Amino acid sequence: MIQKKLLLFLFSFFFLLSLVSFSSAQVKLEVKEQVLPNGMKILMIPKPGVPRVVCHIYYKVGSINERPGITGIAHIHEHMMFKGTRVMGVTDFQADDALNRQIDELMDKIYHEKYWKKDGDQQKIAEWEKQAEELMKAEKKYIIKDDLWETYMKNGGTGLNASTSDEVTGYYVTLPSNKVELQMMLESDRMMNSYFREFYSEKDVVMEERRLSENSPGFFFNEQVRAAFYTASPYHWEVIGWMDDLKKITKNDLIAFHNKYYVPNNAVAIYVGDFKPEEIIKLAEKYFGPIPRGEDIEPIRTGEPPQYSQKRMSGEGPGLPNLQIWFHIPPEGHPDIPALNILASILSGETGRLNKSLVKEKDMAIRAMAMSRPQWYVGAFTFNAIPKMQKGVKPEDLEKEIWEEIEKIKKDGVTPEELQKAKNKTEAAFIRGLESPMFLAMRVGRAELNRGWRSLLTDLEDMKKVTSDDIKRVAAKYMVKDNCLVAIYSRGLGR
Amino acid sequence: MKKYAVLVLSLILILSAVSFSSAQWTRPENLKFPPLKFQPPNPANFRVVLANGLRAYVMEERTLPIINITAIINAGSLYVPKEKAGLDALLSECLIKGGTKTRTGSAIEERIDFLGGTLNFNVGERTATLTMSVLSKDLDEGLDLFFDVLMNPEFRDDSLKLAKGRLIEQLRSANDNPSQVLAREFQKVLYGDHPLTYQETKATIEGLTAADLKAFHGKYFFPKNIIIAAAGDFSRDQLKNKINKYAAKWANKSLSFPAISQNFLQPEPGVYFIQKKINQGYVSVGHLGIEDTNPDYFAVQVMNFILGGGSFTSRITSKVRSDEGLAYNTGSRFTYRWGFPGTFSGYVQTKSETVGYAISLILKEFERIRQQLVSDAEMETAINYYLESFADFFQSPIGTMVNFANLELQGKPMNYYATYLDKIKAVTKEKVLEVAKKYIHPDKMVIMIVGDWEPCNKGSDKFPGPLDKLGKIHRVKLLNPLTGQLED
Repeated sequence: MIQKKLLLFLFSFFFLLSLVSFSSAQVKLEVKEQVLPNGMKILMIPKPGVPRVVCHIYYKVGSINERPGITGIAHIHEHMMFKGTRVMGVTDFQADDALNRQIDELMDKIYHEKYWKKDGDQQKIAEWEKQAEELMKAEKKYIIKDDLWETYMKNGGTGLNASTSDEVTGYYVTLPSNKVELQMMLESDRMMNSYFREFYSEKDVVMEERRLSENSPGFFFNEQVRAAFYTASPYHWEVIGWMDDLKKITKNDLIAFHNKYYVPNNAVAIYVGDFKPEEIIKLAEKYFGPIPRGEDIEPIRTGEPPQYSQKRMSGEGPGLPNLQIWFHIPPEGHPDIPALNILASILSGETGRLNKSLVKEKDMAIRAMAMSRPQWYVGAFTFNAIPKMQKGVKPEDLEKEIWEEIEKIKKDGVTPEELQKAKNKTEAAFIRGLESPMFLAMRVGRAELNRGWRSLLTDLEDMKKVTSDDIKRVAAKYMVKDNCLVAIYSRGLGR
Repeated sequence: MKKYAVLVLSLILILSAVSFSSAQWTRPENLKFPPLKFQPPNPANFRVVLANGLRAYVMEERTLPIINITAIINAGSLYVPKEKAGLDALLSECLIKGGTKTRTGSAIEERIDFLGGTLNFNVGERTATLTMSVLSKDLDEGLDLFFDVLMNPEFRDDSLKLAKGRLIEQLRSANDNPSQVLAREFQKVLYGDHPLTYQETKATIEGLTAADLKAFHGKYFFPKNIIIAAAGDFSRDQLKNKINKYAAKWANKSLSFPAISQNFLQPEPGVYFIQKKINQGYVSVGHLGIEDTNPDYFAVQVMNFILGGGSFTSRITSKVRSDEGLAYNTGSRFTYRWGFPGTFSGYVQTKSETVGYAISLILKEFERIRQQLVSDAEMETAINYYLESFADFFQSPIGTMVNFANLELQGKPMNYYATYLDKIKAVTKEKVLEVAKKYIHPDKMVIMIVGDWEPCNKGSDKFPGPLDKLGKIHRVKLLNPLTGQLED
């Protein structure tokens, strides 16, 4: 049960309203900001024209906020946010609540018998499961199926979805511009009054989602690569979580998770489209304003310790063979990141160094690329190449080639043309990213939760200052053997 | 579009139960929304005809310093003969990379990259598209590259060799991904041996030459067979003049499209099983559908929204996913293709032992929507979804121009959007029942499963096997994608 005290209208509403605009030669991004007294941020980017508004809400919570035992819970919770509240999804809350308590009690007993004991009493389990099933059947008459979803749909909601990543969970809908109030009402309701019905069948859905990933070629290997690379930090597990945890996570785990992270001071709502900011602010005050501020949330404690050793792993399975080399790098905002990002751009793409050398000149690979992923707490710089099997090339052969490319960069840096191209590409891609209201909402909303949305612009400026010497220096600093993991995946259909 | 259907509310229930709640958290039906006016853009206002009959849809959109331009060519894989299967994929890879009479492919890609632009080409079933995005300061240079690639491709040998290598490597793993296998094999059973389903092999790809690509390009790429869509930071008149310079030097040809059979043999109904050692069954259940030019199209859309197309508000998703927790991904869909019937199918991926059960639930929903009128509430949700989300079609300026261009290219009525809302409003419960009966045929179902035979066939309590309860079992053997031959 979620118990949060409601202090209605007791707040005095002091708001900071500021219009901030940042621009460089071509890049202009204007975001109106409003902070409610309970710490919730409202961001607005008016785009007059088509009468639609992209309405997103982002919470600063993801799989990195989990721990062993509850991996996958951020994502399960995202699913459960569609399963109703004390207001939505239910015809008779008291009656439904009474049934739910009984179901949870039974399921608790079942989990204890199944998961706490070495040989639990199968007969008891079967009996309780039957009882639980009866109760769940009885509960159905009080449930309004997918009430929130249907309400959004019949009001013309599109882009209706939610997503969980390592760091952020987002809830999305695009509505006709006269109906933004609907989003405010439903989203504030599920922040404040969430009530998790049909939890146990929804866990089954999530397990099916995991199986779907498992059946996509290379999933198991890549899950292991990630786990081997991040040993200590919570980036160790995938967002989907380990199957054992998906089975054993309890309703109480979920409620505790919700109460800690789904608080206004841990959220940002962003609106992009055809609206008047004053009206959005008024609605935000009305709906999000009364929700009490939660406790401050401690940042993630555990980073990655230095490896001081090279890691290697190999595996085989369906799909194309490939070579991956991963290096630890610092997180977003570190002064080395702009140079690493520019380097990844110079190495990648059709005209990038890796493609030119490994695909076009040497004809050893069918694709080759590098990626710089600084993330919020710990980063990774990765190389990925697919060997040309027709010519008998193996992932190991590409490993040698990539190390040669790395050594060349350490020694000679990059050319002025390469540097300028990477900067042009980055800036143009940024401008292009302003075109789609949905994409814009995602970028600005997520950025806000880590280093503030202005970091999008300052990062761009920092990238323009990168020199060839910077790139030589960061390559020498991070691209060394005792900071890397080499993963070799071969095509094999054995398993 | 004048009146937006206002929510019809039944405000009986609920409120009494929520004692603690306050004014802002009540049922959303209480909300009153101000009226919204929206007129869809009229295609005629954006249409221009340029030199040599090159048509274009052009929209100025000057808020960002960006230009988007797309050429839609009336040509596609449908016109590739069986022995040259893969020509479309090779053309997709090589139109840009193969260079032009005066530029190498690398030079073109380098320049576009240096400008921070994008230039992509793809050949689809009946239309091919070249798309470019550049900063507005680079418009002239961008157009030079765009039209050079479109008009003068050379398909140099080095690019062909690399592209063939890439395609063959991709072919190697064509049987690895279960959803890819299901999609391909389902089409093969429904359409049979037909240009819509020809598969390339290592041999057909290796046999392709620059001359083949040139011949295909020469046959289909000329002004009257292309429509341009453009939106962005330019003056419409200036853009017209700029494009005219290229179009004026581009000769038209006479073209007759190859005749393609419209006859598809009804496959034998039943279970088509493809063995793969995985922990779920990937399932499609269906048969051929309709074209989107069918006068029943809007009623079919509404019907399928209620059946399994409206995500969580639809019956199949609600039953199979939400009630039973059997799947992450489940529903039904009508797919459409230009000039040919599309497909109708229910789909689900679920753990092996619940494959039979999930299929039985989907079949039950097929039957139910054919037997009974849908409810008023279901109709209200479906109709309002289409009415209220209508403006979404026009969110992206280039997307709108491309939509208009496609309507014209496919010879569809240009008042499609202007009449859209009225056609949705005209759909009734009775009409939904009628089209369900007309276009869903339980006696013709092809039930295709990619999965592990033993556990799928065994089933579970709620639906114990064997699977032949669902129909005659056909075990489908996959071809080796490289050779196109059966493996032993």
